Amino acid sequence: MRWILVSAALCLLLTSAAWGVNNQSRTADGISISGVHAQLPCAACHQAQGHELKQPSSAMNRAAGCVGCHQGYAAIFDQSMATRTNEKQFVAQSFNKVDPHFFEKNCQSCHVSDCLDCHGGDGHQIERARQEDCLSCHRDYFVGREYLGMAPREDANRYQRGALYQGEPYLKMRPDLHAELQMECRDCHTMQSLIAGRKAAKDCTDCHQAETRPVEHRIEAHMNKLECYACHSAWAPQEYGTFFLRLGESEKRTYFRLKGDADDEYLKSSYLKRQDAPPLGINSKGKVSPIRPQFIVFYSDLREEGDGTENQLTAARWQAFFPHTVRSGSGMCDSCHGNARRFLLENEQDRIYFLERDGLPLASFWSQEGQVVGNGAFFSRERYAAINEKSPEFIRTYVEKWKKLVESVEGSLKD
Amino acid sequence: MKVGLIFFICVFGSALLFGGCAETPVRSTCESCHQGLERASDTHADCVSCHGGDPGTENKDRSHKTMYGPKNPASPEHWEQTCGMCHAYHLGRVKSNLMYTNTGMIKNTQATWEGEDGRLYATSAGEVHDAAGEPLQLRDVRALNNLSGELYRKFCSLCHIGQESNQSWAGSHASGCAACHFPYNDNGTYQGGDATMNGKWPHSADHKLRALPDNMACFRCHNRSGRIALSYQGLNDGNNSLVPTKGGEPGPMMISGARNATSIAPDIHFSKGMDCIDCHTSRDVMGDGYAYENMYLQTEVSCQDCHGSATKRPMTATIERENDEALRESNNYQRQMQQGEQMVLTAKGRKYSNVFYENGKIWLQGKRSGKLHESKVITGTPEHSIVGHERMECYSCHSRTVVQCYGCHTEYDQSKQGMDFVKGRETPGRFSETEDYRMLYPFPLALNQRGMISPVTPGCQTFVTVKDRNGRKVRDEYIANFKGRQQLRFAPFYSHNTGTRAIGCRECHGNPAFLGFGQHSLEGSSIEATLICEKSEGKPLDGYLTMDYGRVRAYSAITRENSRPLNGGEVKKALAVNLCLACHEDPKDPIYQKELDYRALDTCLGRPLSAAH
Repeated sequence: MRWILVSAALCLLLTSAAWGVNNQSRTADGISISGVHAQLPCAACHQAQGHELKQPSSAMNRAAGCVGCHQGYAAIFDQSMATRTNEKQFVAQSFNKVDPHFFEKNCQSCHVSDCLDCHGGDGHQIERARQEDCLSCHRDYFVGREYLGMAPREDANRYQRGALYQGEPYLKMRPDLHAELQMECRDCHTMQSLIAGRKAAKDCTDCHQAETRPVEHRIEAHMNKLECYACHSAWAPQEYGTFFLRLGESEKRTYFRLKGDADDEYLKSSYLKRQDAPPLGINSKGKVSPIRPQFIVFYSDLREEGDGTENQLTAARWQAFFPHTVRSGSGMCDSCHGNARRFLLENEQDRIYFLERDGLPLASFWSQEGQVVGNGAFFSRERYAAINEKSPEFIRTYVEKWKKLVESVEGSLKD
Repeated sequence: MKVGLIFFICVFGSALLFGGCAETPVRSTCESCHQGLERASDTHADCVSCHGGDPGTENKDRSHKTMYGPKNPASPEHWEQTCGMCHAYHLGRVKSNLMYTNTGMIKNTQATWEGEDGRLYATSAGEVHDAAGEPLQLRDVRALNNLSGELYRKFCSLCHIGQESNQSWAGSHASGCAACHFPYNDNGTYQGGDATMNGKWPHSADHKLRALPDNMACFRCHNRSGRIALSYQGLNDGNNSLVPTKGGEPGPMMISGARNATSIAPDIHFSKGMDCIDCHTSRDVMGDGYAYENMYLQTEVSCQDCHGSATKRPMTATIERENDEALRESNNYQRQMQQGEQMVLTAKGRKYSNVFYENGKIWLQGKRSGKLHESKVITGTPEHSIVGHERMECYSCHSRTVVQCYGCHTEYDQSKQGMDFVKGRETPGRFSETEDYRMLYPFPLALNQRGMISPVTPGCQTFVTVKDRNGRKVRDEYIANFKGRQQLRFAPFYSHNTGTRAIGCRECHGNPAFLGFGQHSLEGSSIEATLICEKSEGKPLDGYLTMDYGRVRAYSAITRENSRPLNGGEVKKALAVNLCLACHEDPKDPIYQKELDYRALDTCLGRPLSAAH
């Protein structure tokens, strides 16, 4: 029976126009169906192995109604978007001691539990996943919306202004070059790559062969040791010090003029947000990559019945990542070479934010001390010293790069 | 009869003239009721000469009826009859002073909110004398009937000494002389020794006169806009995150407007224990009798006064006459200055009362602490004699941070009532504000009114929305015309967050953000902004320059007269220095003592590496 249904479905699909044709049909009980599935009999999706399926695309039954045709796609439920293993582990390590139910309270809104989460929302209007579907979860600190040039705003009410995307105000930033060229998430992140547990089907070098014209590309160490996006990610959302304020129904809640729902047990705020070029570290492949705090967490229990814990550091973890803010340009040499802060090796005399004076147990966000990279490592002091060695080659290349820029600026060097 | 009249005039006249120094009458009902009240000072011992009233009656109402105030005899309504009776010289100055007239603030609000009408306004009408000594009529700001007048009266006017402010946590102050000399505490409540007054609001913290106000007196007002009292003390009101919490409440330090302040590197002068008034003379803060139109014109102090410039050591002059202002002003210091002492001069050529030259060194005496600070003179040092840097303000390199607030979105809603603090009543039209982004470092540089390269900060990037009485938007995120075209504005600014260590050469020359490009990405000969003004496709919000294929363009104004962003040639020169900095990193390197010769570069690079160093 199952094979008959599958064959019938395949035939219908083959005879219908290509994916995307918006066929319409209506069932006997008046349900309107659109898209390529409109020509299918109900049982094609709603029946599997002789059983009726009320939720044919749910993770609960591993999308039994879909995988008859879309074979192998149930594997998506084993991947991070559905399992969120990393997030759960992080929360367990950081919060279990203070609130074992933290994850359910604060992290439930974003995970894949049904094919329809991305494919149309309504089982009778199944669509190809659109960019908006991805970005409904891939927002804030999950790489995504920065691709369109949208940075998360500060948490205080004073900053909740301006244009909205999916109901949330954002800070206008330069979008990713690929977004400007009308490329969408799926152009790199295919379903096949996602079910295979890979982040993307393609990486930069699958499409781009590094030109040798730019000075930076002629430096062997750059090409061998750096991710392309270590230089070509123009900016990234960074949150330094994420504060979870467990307020419950405390009357003090009104003092905290922060965004958030009135019935949330927690409010979130951050000591500092930045939207510039993020620091650099080493990723799991051993390459130099952007890193950002993910997260430096402080927990406060301010409920009436709470234990009065305040600003307790529960994690100081950084993460190597790929900000989707790719530009064909980059920073100048000095944005890395000679810039100790960029590698979390800030000199004490250059320190701006004095966290300890505010009672926080970290000397500086830009000091490696007391912090870790969850999926990689910090750039070592020795290695930093090495990239600042003034070898003749370094000097020649540095001067060449600057000379090229200086000569291109209209104007005279004479008064 | 005639003798009697003369006697009366003598007695009454002396009471008026010397009232401040007279002893309290025996059986004063003031003292019998207000037991424990602090004596204002040894020279201000008599209640009536300051407060008026009848000290002879037991009846409270009758006794208080003829008081000045009754609360604050130093307020502008009474200061002619009270403080001004003895301190006519000070009062005369204060009445022309910007902190009282707020003429500069109003004028600049007019200029940036399309409110210019060719007239100068003040918090109240008055005749003053301009910087040239010519009579000048200041109009009452109540008569400024446009949006800029409304903005001033409903937003800015609480921060001037003519007006009491009593609703702001950590930002309240009395009006008139008492604003600084009888300071409020954080909640504006009397907490001194007089049981009848204890816990009363709004009042000064106690009844002691502070001849030399501490930093908190300045902080009560100077914690917004430029926020210099915050930066100076190493505080930052940043993103209003309200964390880390303190005692279960927003923290770590709360200031007016439900803002929180966190800790940053303080100004070196603060770290050394110096107060605001140790640099700022009484003429800076109370005026010098002339009415200026901008604060930078009234301010007479500069870094070079104490530290010298590259070519000139600090200027000094000897106290010769017995009535020298420095002698009188130093009366309240631990060490009073003496005739014959050599005093350091301000940028306007007047004597400091606490900075002097002795044994070949410049010394600054803490006015309140009495502590002596040696001032390091930089004249002739190679790192301060770099050719090209003679155009730099000291604080272009020596600022640790410069507070920058990007995108100030102001809504004026005429369907709602708003408090007009000058008129003292609510009128239609309420202001509210939201913002986009804060920065401390890096910070942009441009030319200031002196033609010097100085840090600048948004001043202001105002996007105005106006709603009419029906709540309909008649203006939506409007950018005002300034100097003939719609543009955002930056203002030259000294952030008061000075560091001994200067920003490194490569730090500044190697980062185009310092030149005004904002945070950016650079490709070939183009610099593209990454934080973008929402009104444009590609212009930076945190800068005012763009470079497309080598062409540098400015599109924001620098507010003051003669000030402007850097031009293409200046950008080119600043970037070109990197060609030398590759090897010559030390600012003391002799190559920087003359104009850089880039023709030498090829020869230079051709040499073995050791020779290049």
